[in-house]
Amino acid sequence: MPRPPRLGLAVSAAVLLALTACSAPTANPGTGNGPLVVATAGEPDTLNPVLNYGVDGGSLIFDGLVARDERNQLVPALAEELPSVSPDGQTVTARLRPDVLFHDGTPLTAQDVVFTYRAVLDEKVDSTLRSDLDMLASVDAPDEATVVFTLRYAYAPFLQRLTLGIVPAGALAGQDINKAPFNRQPIGTGPYRVASWTPGDRLVLAANDRYWAGRPANNGVVVAFVPDDNVRAQRTRAGEFDAAELPPKLATGFDAQPGYRVHRAPTADYRGVMLPMGNPVTGDVAVRRALHAAVDRAAMVDGVLGGAGEPAYGPVPPSSEFADPAVAGTPTADPATATATLDAAGWRPGPDGIRVKDGTRAAFSLMYPAADSLRKELALAVTADAKKIGIAITPEGLTWDAITPRMKSDALIMGYGTPYDPDFVSYKLFHSDFAGQGFFNPGSYASQVTDRALRDGRAEADPARRRAAYATFQQQLATDVPWVFLTYLEHTYVLRDSVDGVVARVEPHEHDVANSIWWNIHTWTRRS
Amino acid sequence: MSAAVLARVRRLPRPRPGRVGATVAGTVLAAAVLACLFAPVLWPLDQSAVDLSQTRLAPSLLHPAGTDDLGRDVAHRSLYGLRVSLLVGVVAALVAAVIGGAVGALAGTLGGVVDRVLMRLVDTIAALPHLLLGIFIVAMLRPSLGAVVLSIGLTHWLSTARIVRSELLSLRHRPFIDAAVSGGAGRLRVLTRHLLPHVLPRLALAITLMIPHAVWHETALSFLGLGLPPHLASLGNMINDGRASLLTGAWWASLTPGLALIVVTLALATLTARWRDRLDPRVRAELQL
Amino acid sequence: MTERIRRRRLAGAGGVVRRRLLVAVPVLVATSAGMFALGAASPIDPAQQYAGAAAFTTSEENLAQIRANWGVDDPLPVQYARWVGNLLRGDLGWSTSRHEPVVDVLAARAGWTLLLVGAALAVVLVASLLLGTLAAYRRGGWFDRGLRASAYAVQSVPVFWLGLAAIAVFALSLGWLPAGGLTDITATGTDPADVARHLILPVGVLALSQVPWFVLFIRDSVADSLRDDHVLAARARGLPGRTVLFGHALRTGLLPFITLIGTHLPEIVGGAVLVETVFSLPGLGAVTVQAALGSDFPLLAATTLATTVVVLTANLATDLAYAAADPRVRLE
Repeated sequence: MPRPPRLGLAVSAAVLLALTACSAPTANPGTGNGPLVVATAGEPDTLNPVLNYGVDGGSLIFDGLVARDERNQLVPALAEELPSVSPDGQTVTARLRPDVLFHDGTPLTAQDVVFTYRAVLDEKVDSTLRSDLDMLASVDAPDEATVVFTLRYAYAPFLQRLTLGIVPAGALAGQDINKAPFNRQPIGTGPYRVASWTPGDRLVLAANDRYWAGRPANNGVVVAFVPDDNVRAQRTRAGEFDAAELPPKLATGFDAQPGYRVHRAPTADYRGVMLPMGNPVTGDVAVRRALHAAVDRAAMVDGVLGGAGEPAYGPVPPSSEFADPAVAGTPTADPATATATLDAAGWRPGPDGIRVKDGTRAAFSLMYPAADSLRKELALAVTADAKKIGIAITPEGLTWDAITPRMKSDALIMGYGTPYDPDFVSYKLFHSDFAGQGFFNPGSYASQVTDRALRDGRAEADPARRRAAYATFQQQLATDVPWVFLTYLEHTYVLRDSVDGVVARVEPHEHDVANSIWWNIHTWTRRS
Repeated sequence: MSAAVLARVRRLPRPRPGRVGATVAGTVLAAAVLACLFAPVLWPLDQSAVDLSQTRLAPSLLHPAGTDDLGRDVAHRSLYGLRVSLLVGVVAALVAAVIGGAVGALAGTLGGVVDRVLMRLVDTIAALPHLLLGIFIVAMLRPSLGAVVLSIGLTHWLSTARIVRSELLSLRHRPFIDAAVSGGAGRLRVLTRHLLPHVLPRLALAITLMIPHAVWHETALSFLGLGLPPHLASLGNMINDGRASLLTGAWWASLTPGLALIVVTLALATLTARWRDRLDPRVRAELQL
Repeated sequence: MTERIRRRRLAGAGGVVRRRLLVAVPVLVATSAGMFALGAASPIDPAQQYAGAAAFTTSEENLAQIRANWGVDDPLPVQYARWVGNLLRGDLGWSTSRHEPVVDVLAARAGWTLLLVGAALAVVLVASLLLGTLAAYRRGGWFDRGLRASAYAVQSVPVFWLGLAAIAVFALSLGWLPAGGLTDITATGTDPADVARHLILPVGVLALSQVPWFVLFIRDSVADSLRDDHVLAARARGLPGRTVLFGHALRTGLLPFITLIGTHLPEIVGGAVLVETVFSLPGLGAVTVQAALGSDFPLLAATTLATTVVVLTANLATDLAYAAADPRVRLE
């Protein structure tokens, strides 16, 4: 490394001293005992679980009553054992593990759990989680080590909701949780405590020596926030990170780079085209079925995702035990079926090659969020495929606030998906109760069959019956095609060869500090 | 070394871009403008077309500048990118000229308090960072072609206002104006018949000088993701898209649009350099050249 | 300088400050009102910005509650009055995209932008004075021609392109310098040497993008003053070339240069926005872009206003410096 010019250094130093109140010495980077460094694009807005940080576990800083293992199966965490559910499914009781300490040394009690869940339900708290805990009537602590949840209605996957991180009541009581300093400097029970968070730059985590499950295998973690894919790839190449998430195309170069390996984590993270019922063209089921047949999912996986993904035909990922193999289609385009469907429905080719039915041109707008280059590329790929069967799509790159008012009548490239339970997300995206409600079911899809299947799926406790309900749900979606599902992604990570202990599990759509490949980073070690 | 030095120093010419340079620049610019004008007829482009079987091909005879991540011909899109960028540049420069011309004419013909207030305003707005204001305007209007044009027009009218005003002020007391006024010509008539013809050349210069600035502004906004919708071919969008390709080895994806931008703005600058050097330094400083 | 003259000049300076403020205050009021009107007219829903990606799983009532908690459904004048009132009390609002007070965002980031701009400005000054003077001295020579040609060329290259090229060459190919960031990623603090190493490329790129204009100006200005009578007289007196050049010609050429910096500051700030984005520096420019992409009105308005205030202040400072440097200048 060349030394910077002496004058420049002196000037910088002087200005720096004038500008920064505190200035600490630098740690020695990159060697054996140093912290593990991971890089991600997604910076959380807050580190408070009540305000939607790491609600599905893997949050590094917090623990829920339960956690998930590498197969996403529930295991007890702050609860001594998996909470018990009453026969009517409306009362859930959890016993707390004794001797758990928060990072500030205060012991965990049932009051902290009650405080956490009540805060989510509190109308004054701007928690975006509240609608997920709609079934929760009340939460109480009969004694210091017991928490009782009372539900409004039986909700089969309720235990899956108990991964929410527990916050200490003492640190937040009486404060405006929306703007509490705690959101930046949180206190949890997890394997790491927050040493510092420089928004836009990095989150520094230090090992929690008193972690109830044993001290982490490393001294700490630095999470670097680098929103720009290219900059993240450049800095990965410069050797700054032990693990970094990169878009598949940017990760490919690292296969050949000595000292690095590329890891592709399977996900439940899908992308698809939401086709609104309120549009005269996409409202016609024949058009939707034709598009479903016309898109070349294999070409998208290869060309857009660089091979890191698989075709998607529905919202339940193939890795889920609830996936119905009957809904799978052909990965490549099937223009013959598509054109036959359109012909049969009366969509005839017009003079310019675009089909027409009763004076309506088979043309519509397809919106995509302008900042998301993956969705832009998928929108263009769909546009190209649709053109081949005589449907004219106009792609429109917009900001989210420009997209939302138009979702009732214009198609949109959307993405979501969670591997934990088929009820999550899907209920709101496809149940008619949520038709036209913001980002839920924006296309106002309504089917009594789907509604009933979704309701059965959440109410039934018996796994076989749930599976049957979700099979019905998936088949009905494949018939009605309110979305054309395109691909499941694989999240692509570049890892340093010297890092041990990496275990990928099926990842959800939302992943940043929490729920990425480093969900178990407290067991990672680095050979020097 | 006294008289001799004096003589030598006085005789030194002010260097200007050579005749050859100007000819080359003019040819390049003319070719670019013609290509942009006739592109839709000769080589039409479907802006949303992709070909996932032809992605990231190196330059060849079929694709002289290679193909990008979605299998689109880089040369073809660079041409259309240049077209959009030049179009935005010209339209935005005209918008700026209209705003600036109006303010400058007001200040220059009315004079007095109006002039002082308007020029103070111009001075102060000139002190604001254009790009930040532009970003604010685009963000609030939502990124689109119109928002970009407005954002440039609203931030780039100041130099035009100054030129028009100072030109009008210098003309005010010329004999022929006095003659016209004493001959009973109305204010409007003096302005349109006698003043405007003298101001127009300067105004044209101001607009020409503005175009490269407007093009840079557009590419900067697009580069930041705040310009035209990202699937449209614009130079800023293409350079931004091409960043990823720099890392994966497909350097050609951003090279051609970058070179197109540099060459055309350089040609514009060279052509106007002769013109500009004849201006007096005060006006040059006002133009921030 | 006698006491009387100094007092008169100080009084003059006071007048300048007063007059500048007289213009700056209405301009700021107008700018803020214009920005607020634009923000209010824009169909952006702050509640949805706040929810971000989670808006997907947030119900309409939930969003409505967030909106009500924020008072964004009040009439516009009420909102504007509240906003300005808060501004004056130093409360710049709550950033919807960063989920923290706007003041905290500014405080954490303004310093780095100032450092970047300041360092780049210093480099620009030194480089352009040196190169411009040399070119003027050997006017018409190969150095002058080469410098002018490359100045015109560099002027046509957008700064973000320069940044990408610098990263490609110095960070990726040669591996000499870091590709981005402010400190080494495992650093626990801001060690000046570490920061300096990370700033070499961004400062260099920003400076290079601004140098041409200054170099050309200095060159012309010094060249002109070489023909000034007092410079010619100095030469005629037989003073050595270096003394004439730096002692006389440069000093005369330097004066307009000071105001030039003031007028050119907005360009440099704009360049800093792009440079910070390319090099992922945690400065004001980068955060402004993120705020714009996230339609974060409070943060966007605050960064724009804050930069405006800083630039206006810097302009005033250059005016005063100009007056201090040249007694002939009458402050008006």
